[in-house]
Amino acid sequence: MIEIQGLQKRFGTVEAVRDVSFRACDGTVVGLLGPNGAGKTTTLRLLSGLMRPDAGTIRVDNADVVADPIGAQKHMGLLPDSRGLYPRLTPIEHIEYFGRLHGLDGPALTTRVKALVTRLGLNEVADRRVSGFSQGERTKVAIARALVHQPRNVILDEPTNGLDVMSTRAMRELIRGLRRDGCCVLFSSHIMQEVSALCDRIVVIAQGRVVADGTPEELRLITGRDNLEDAFVALAGLETEETP
Amino acid sequence: MSTLRPLVIALKKELRDGVRDRRSVSSLLIGAMMAPILFGVMFTAMAGRRRNAEEMKLPVVGVEYAPAFIDWMKQQTGLEIVAAPADPEQAVRERKEDVILLIEKDFSKNMARAVPAPVKLISDTTRDVARPKVARVRALITAYSSHLAQLRLIARGVAPSIALPVRVQEVEVSSAQERLATLLSILPLLLVMAALTGGMQIAIDATAGERERGSLEPLLLSPVPRVALAGGKWLAASAFGCGSVVFSMLLTVNVMRRVPWHDMGIRFRVSDGELMSLLALVLPLALFLSAVVMFASTFARSFKEAQSYIGILILLPMLPGLLATMYPLSNRPWLAPIPIIGQYALAADVLGGKPPGAAFYALAGLAVLACALVLVGATSRLLTREAIIFGR
Repeated sequence: MIEIQGLQKRFGTVEAVRDVSFRACDGTVVGLLGPNGAGKTTTLRLLSGLMRPDAGTIRVDNADVVADPIGAQKHMGLLPDSRGLYPRLTPIEHIEYFGRLHGLDGPALTTRVKALVTRLGLNEVADRRVSGFSQGERTKVAIARALVHQPRNVILDEPTNGLDVMSTRAMRELIRGLRRDGCCVLFSSHIMQEVSALCDRIVVIAQGRVVADGTPEELRLITGRDNLEDAFVALAGLETEETP
Repeated sequence: MSTLRPLVIALKKELRDGVRDRRSVSSLLIGAMMAPILFGVMFTAMAGRRRNAEEMKLPVVGVEYAPAFIDWMKQQTGLEIVAAPADPEQAVRERKEDVILLIEKDFSKNMARAVPAPVKLISDTTRDVARPKVARVRALITAYSSHLAQLRLIARGVAPSIALPVRVQEVEVSSAQERLATLLSILPLLLVMAALTGGMQIAIDATAGERERGSLEPLLLSPVPRVALAGGKWLAASAFGCGSVVFSMLLTVNVMRRVPWHDMGIRFRVSDGELMSLLALVLPLALFLSAVVMFASTFARSFKEAQSYIGILILLPMLPGLLATMYPLSNRPWLAPIPIIGQYALAADVLGGKPPGAAFYALAGLAVLACALVLVGATSRLLTREAIIFGR
């Protein structure tokens, strides 16, 4: 469960996040939808605990992210927008490294690594160094290392960015699987189809504010548009800018 | 979780990563090679030069004008009189010969009348190689001259000592070890450079490299104290730095065993104890230098940017090292607590055969370790800065 209240963050004169509040419950997939520069990545960085908000509270499974980021990070699995890997390590070594940093060890770690490799379809490349991996393979490794400690809350920043059709499908499958496991999944995207295909709830962000929050059905009702994409455009306030 | 466990985890990962990195391994090796290669070349060249002066050929022009002098010269050991080239000055100028003795036509005539007999010594004193030979020939001529002078005085019934109002006797205060120390004073500098270059690549890769690849943000999402990550990275870099120093030392010892000390007029060989003392000085410094490089590199967004910082940082150990070879820091053990300079000062004493007390090693070691820990702490604080975590 993720609860965000009155979040604000400014960089110099730029107000990246003005007022963001929402809640993501266990067993649901919540999409953070917004145009580029709306404040999605900043919101997720604040949620990760690596960036401190100017105002607002963030709670993850009752842990206060602002007061105790390290305590909260134990409950979170995060795929940030920078997903760099160590070119000289293999996928297994990546997953093991992060597993150990999360306190796993011994047979428990080995079992977990194996399970992740199988689940993400990394079997063939599991013992190869990651330099030269495709974008899809890299993302899979990055996801595996984020999930190694079986977090109850999974946060993915534009997880399908740069992925081909097959990898995108695999990613959707993974997100559905996490929901089945009872996880709380929060992911950001600017792609409409992806959000509508996956999300139980959608939080629309524009110019650093939450402009809508509800099920896809509710959003269509609020805006009076049948098409979710039109609804999004209306909500994000993009219409006025694009149609003179 | 405690700090120690994640520190060990990070250390192991960085070591594994470093061993697989060709750049890290080659910089370790290059750092280690500098000292032995330089010493091999330097000592062999010096020994060769001395040997040249001890067993030299002296081209002489006008042998026929001074048969007695030439006979006396031929009796000197290690000196062979040979025929001179047609144009002696040109030959020296063109560096075909180092020194040529020219006996003038009037030599015998002047000798007979007890008037100074003229000889010319043709040489180029700007050439280091020629200098010991010129000195040797001049000494021989002076010896012959004073030998004759004494005979002449005796023949005239005068005690030769009257013609010698002042007698110079040279008393060498520095021991053979100290003379060697001036030669060896460059060794600490080379070892320190090995310590720096050995750990440099890992220190950069684990900080600026991590930022450049975009792997820093994911790493910092792990629920471990930053100081554990910084500490692990630091120890991995230090391990490479220390490895480079030890390797450099082993190779240098090997080279020194092969140096023809005898030809250099030095009976002394650096003892194993002294080499161990040098290690005791330089190894803690490797920990400090790795911490310096790591701290500076954390500010850099990329490997290249970090390297440009290190280009300036490298002067930090190099300048005092070079200055120390020119203005020896020996007999100043109170410099011990100053990082780098302290090490050079103590090393100069070790090589001068006056090893400082164990307390000074401890003082020097603890001082650099304290500085290193401060830098590691500062690095771990940098890793909480948003500009560094997200600034790519």
